[in-house]
Amino acid sequence: MTLFHFFNCAILTFGPHAVYYSATPLSEYDTLGTSIKAAVVYLITALVKLVCLATFLNVSETDSFDPYQELLKALIGFIDVAGLYFALTQLTHRNISQCHKFQAVGLGWAFADSVLHRLAPLWVGARGLEFTWDYIFQGLEANANLVLSLSLAALGSLMWLRKNKPKTLIPIIYACAGIVATMPSITSYLRQGLGWHLPKIVGFELFTSLAMAFISWQLFAACQRPSN
Amino acid sequence: MGNLQKSEPSLGFVIPVYSSVITLLIIVMTCVELCDAVTVVDVYRLVQYDVGGMPFGSRLAALNHHAGSAVLSSGAADLSRTVLILPVRELNLTFIRESIGWRKPLGGLLLLLPLDFSPQDTENIGEADHSSAKQLVKEVLVELEQLLIHANIPYPVYFGFEDDDVNSVLADVKRNDATGQLATATTGGYKLVVAAPEPKKIASPTISNTQGWLPGLKADGGSNQLPTIAIVASYDTFGAAPALSVGSDSSGSGVVAVLEIARLFSILYSNPKTRGRYNLLFGMTSGGPYNYNGTQKWLHSLDQRFRETIDYAVCLNSIGSSSNELWMHVSKPPENAYIKQIFEGFSNVAEELGLKVGLKHKKINISNPRVAWEHEQFSRLRVTALTVSELSVAPELLESTGGLSDKRQFVDEASISRSVKLVAESLARHIYGLEGKTIDIFADNSSLAVNPSYIRSWLDLLSATPRVAPFLSKNDPLIMALKKELTDHTVEVNVQQEVLDGIFTFYDSTSSRLHIYQVASVTFDLLLLLGLGSYLIVLFSFLVITTRGLDDLISLFRRPPSRKMKTA
Repeated sequence: MTLFHFFNCAILTFGPHAVYYSATPLSEYDTLGTSIKAAVVYLITALVKLVCLATFLNVSETDSFDPYQELLKALIGFIDVAGLYFALTQLTHRNISQCHKFQAVGLGWAFADSVLHRLAPLWVGARGLEFTWDYIFQGLEANANLVLSLSLAALGSLMWLRKNKPKTLIPIIYACAGIVATMPSITSYLRQGLGWHLPKIVGFELFTSLAMAFISWQLFAACQRPSN
Repeated sequence: MGNLQKSEPSLGFVIPVYSSVITLLIIVMTCVELCDAVTVVDVYRLVQYDVGGMPFGSRLAALNHHAGSAVLSSGAADLSRTVLILPVRELNLTFIRESIGWRKPLGGLLLLLPLDFSPQDTENIGEADHSSAKQLVKEVLVELEQLLIHANIPYPVYFGFEDDDVNSVLADVKRNDATGQLATATTGGYKLVVAAPEPKKIASPTISNTQGWLPGLKADGGSNQLPTIAIVASYDTFGAAPALSVGSDSSGSGVVAVLEIARLFSILYSNPKTRGRYNLLFGMTSGGPYNYNGTQKWLHSLDQRFRETIDYAVCLNSIGSSSNELWMHVSKPPENAYIKQIFEGFSNVAEELGLKVGLKHKKINISNPRVAWEHEQFSRLRVTALTVSELSVAPELLESTGGLSDKRQFVDEASISRSVKLVAESLARHIYGLEGKTIDIFADNSSLAVNPSYIRSWLDLLSATPRVAPFLSKNDPLIMALKKELTDHTVEVNVQQEVLDGIFTFYDSTSSRLHIYQVASVTFDLLLLLGLGSYLIVLFSFLVITTRGLDDLISLFRRPPSRKMKTA
């Protein structure tokens, strides 16, 4: 029965990635290679971030919110953005349209993130006899993360790959990209500084991810129009 | 153009998707309440033993069932996969008697003792606590203990304490049971798990007897062997929960008295001018509850000529209750001149102390293996002996052996001091030939006064140490402590190790940790699976529609027929 619970939480955490891949035209164009390359880039980025965190950050005993530490963490979080830039621009992809490229990169990125951060706790914790809601919330968080990664990848591709953008939209694009990139810091501030509990935080993440996805979709569509 | 058209139908689908996810979450949340973390408690198992091959006590140790409360006990529900959590304060003894007597199947039993019976409770009370509620609990415990010890119970029985975690779990379980539904795999609830291995027999349990010797003053030129007076007490206990059997009164008080008497006489005997013409032998025997097996072995190990020099032996049993009445139990008839003399000596001292001493005679039957008092073991070897105890009637086998209800708070240390003074004074007057004279040898506020702090500290120590003999190893810290203490006061301290007689066999696994889990029902898991499945299907359809168009979704389901039509 507890393996049952583990199975449930696993399909909640990793199912949407597989569903996304098979449902959208990504599977038709066989962009699996791109996704895997993006996942590898994420792993390298995570390692670099880990080294930077270990070097520059001092672990505080209390669970309080320290602005200086959080600022440092946010700066290190921008390494994420750099990694995404690398994946989008530097890797050689086969002839895939931009629309599909950002989706594949975003998908690979989010999948690697879920596996790295959520698989181990799930395997160790969800198989126990005791029931907690934690792993279900973790799965919902993974879903929100997928949407956020896709929107970040979309905005990234807009920023770096698309050369002719309407002038008025450029600041909005950069603003949205900034918000999405600093989302982890905002979440940790809510958890530690304001003391929100897990359900509230997950709800907030879901809501903001959908909102940002919608905004980036509109931006993407708006930028598509001139080329049409 | 195409993108504009795509964005409109997609908006229409966002709302139903969102609402279905929310309703799903609501349905799922109503099945299981938000729970707290797993609780781990220390629990102590009912004793498991055989007497001559007949099994007694709880025969199982491992536990893995759902929890139920006393609410279910009245119903006719099948409890064979339920563990009943019953607080002793509200215990219904008839239910226990019936379920044991009629051998009703039960998954397990967890009996909760009040927190002040816990060994961690260090708030010691100087005066014995006589509140009626506590007395009531004590009486229930005595009866419960006798019931459980003499029954053969095929399921695990554990004793725990009513701390906050367990109380909140019990309140929850009671609330769930009130709805009438039994907690099983399909309905969820609390699960009690004790992971204990199969209990094994304890091979050759050892009993350790300690003795100390204070030699008397030999007259110059006299080569006669001096007479000896023996003062003994049995230090081990037996109870329903061996890990909780501290026996403050039933043998703790006796041990403390022997130690104090040894200390007082060692002061007297240290100076040759005040050394009496009697040797003193102090003994702490084991195997008390098992027909004083240890005493018998100890006496047999003593040299026979030496045994013949024992004038008389004083055995100390429970002397800790706050009543003013003590009994002297003898096996020689009271008309015997020597017994009369000893009794008179005791009575005189008792009168001065405000105590009342009565004499009780019980004939010994050598063919009957049952030995109710320690002095009977001496009498069987034709040594005059008597037992001083507050009990007026001889206890049955495994009764009054320091079980669950025999805790520190029920023992009055002032009574122990008085009894020590009684015995010491009577012995001293006999030794120094001062019978009939009213000389207070161990007067209060003298250097020979009975020391209440010594009594209190040893009583506290013994009340925190469970002392069931088969579970004490050869070098148990308590045995070493008693040996060291006797070495301080006496000479030629000896620890004799023997094997407990074969009629009694004990099994290990006396304490474990209980894990209380809150488990979700299978229904919940199935519902969750259903919800997640529908969520993924909805997500899939949503993505196909938004990126490839509605026709593609329909074509996914219509592919086989259209191919057939094409080929045809």
